[in-house]
Amino acid sequence: MRELLSRASTKYTRRSARKKGLGGRTVYPLLWILPSVALMVAIVVVPIVDLFITSFSEVGLSGLREGFNGVENYVSLFQDPVFPRVLINTLIWTVAIVGITIILSLGIASLLNEKFVGRRLVRAALIVPWAVSLLITAVIWKWIFDFRYGTLNLILKELGIIEKNVNWLAQPATSFPAMIAVGIFVSLPFTSFVLLAGLQAISAELYEAARVDGANRWKRFVHITLPQLRPTLTVAVVLNTIYVFNSFPIVWAMTRGEPLNKTDIIFTYLYKLGFEERQLGVAAAVSVISFLILIAFSASYVWFVTRRES
Amino acid sequence: MLNAVRAQKAFIAVVSFTLLVAMIFPYGIMLLTSLKSKDTIYSIPPTFFPEKWVFTNYLDVWTVVPLSHYIANSVLLASGSTLLALICAIPAAYALARMRFPGRRIYLYAVIATQIFSPIVLLVGLFREMRWFGLMDSLWALVLINGAFFQAFAIWILSGYFASIPYSLEEAAWIDGCTRLGAVRRIVLPLALPGLVTTVIFVFIQSWNEFVVALTLIFTETKKPLTVGIFSFFGRYDVDWEYVFATSLIATIPVVVLFLVIEKYLVSGLTSGGVKE
Repeated sequence: MRELLSRASTKYTRRSARKKGLGGRTVYPLLWILPSVALMVAIVVVPIVDLFITSFSEVGLSGLREGFNGVENYVSLFQDPVFPRVLINTLIWTVAIVGITIILSLGIASLLNEKFVGRRLVRAALIVPWAVSLLITAVIWKWIFDFRYGTLNLILKELGIIEKNVNWLAQPATSFPAMIAVGIFVSLPFTSFVLLAGLQAISAELYEAARVDGANRWKRFVHITLPQLRPTLTVAVVLNTIYVFNSFPIVWAMTRGEPLNKTDIIFTYLYKLGFEERQLGVAAAVSVISFLILIAFSASYVWFVTRRES
Repeated sequence: MLNAVRAQKAFIAVVSFTLLVAMIFPYGIMLLTSLKSKDTIYSIPPTFFPEKWVFTNYLDVWTVVPLSHYIANSVLLASGSTLLALICAIPAAYALARMRFPGRRIYLYAVIATQIFSPIVLLVGLFREMRWFGLMDSLWALVLINGAFFQAFAIWILSGYFASIPYSLEEAAWIDGCTRLGAVRRIVLPLALPGLVTTVIFVFIQSWNEFVVALTLIFTETKKPLTVGIFSFFGRYDVDWEYVFATSLIATIPVVVLFLVIEKYLVSGLTSGGVKE
């Protein structure tokens, strides 16, 4: 890929050196990106601007703005006793899912990097949770975790691990870890494939040389695999962190953030505020805050991507 | 030494088998439950396999919910979103791969940023905007929103493919009297076909699976796509799990098959991307 990129860039210089006149070199390319820019402005930029305005506005039940009200929405947000809990939940949610996913995926990627019978089958199986709608996967897990009729209690009882059924999704102490587990389950495929691509890019000669020097399997992993894999690991961490923000369907299907908002993450909280309690102004304030958090991530991602390519 | 190799082989076999089972397990449960009768589903103690295999669940579900509407809506909105994303992304990706222009860097950042925002962050703004446009409860709103958010992915993947096609091929076509657009159509697009197929399938699947925007903007039962339709089973007193899972399976199979087709191209595209600063 890198070779392709550098080759592509020499094409640019050749091209700009020639300066083929195509009727206004600066206007012409802009026509090519015009549809994409128009769509982006209409559906991404306008709502962002509207969010900021709405977050400083009084909003009626129907969603219409009724004039500015300063920082009132933010004040009532921070006065909501639930909000700190939601933020902490979101932090735990993200760190746990990204951390555990990366560790497990490292193992899965190493496994898939070996040759063994049935590898294609395992690969195909690993694709499935990535392809299936997050909502459907979450709904299945809700059923598996069901108190009376769920498969998990059935299996655990058969194995003699529990004596009485556990009501997994009724209390936060079990439901939140259960949902995190589902979050990890759906993040594994993407992360494993990314790391596998990284592993396959490591030159075999490095391992050969280390073997000649007498390095054992563990030493080879620590001194060759991990350092060589670092850029890939960074991509995996950043992309996973961003994708975790899409996990609304998991919580929505499994607990709806209940009981008493104790299993809410920021986006289920936002949704309830905006579209169940109809406090669109406060919901906009939540959106602005999560928007700013995402911007921080985006900035680090863009920084990383551009640094890698230069 | 031979023992060590054998032990390693056994270890790999065990781990890979566990992984295989773990990944398939929930979807196996989905299949088994979709073939159970309601009595078996709500029996205590529960059973792992159906007592009777009730294949008629897959026929009944069409009358229990407006399934044909759900499917038609999902097909329409996913095709519409894919088409819109492609129409915007193809010329933009080409410009990024082949041209230098003022604001290119800012545009590139904007594309990456769009890829990062999930629509849920902008949901309140999107809701107010679509109401203002009079697009509430309309599939058009979903097409616009999915198209806008997934075009970033399409631009990212396609510009990588376009940049990898030798420029000299296009130049040769110009000399033969092709216009720039003609060269794109006759040379670039056919050569970037794997990239195009990957993009089409990925955007289609993403739109097909989209949930939260549809949940917020669509109210009428016959306008719901599959994801929201499946979720509407939960409003009732007891959940018809057999129908939930029959519907889910119908919604899932085409998507998984399509995904397996593009898997090879997808990972390299997602991680490398070919956009040059």
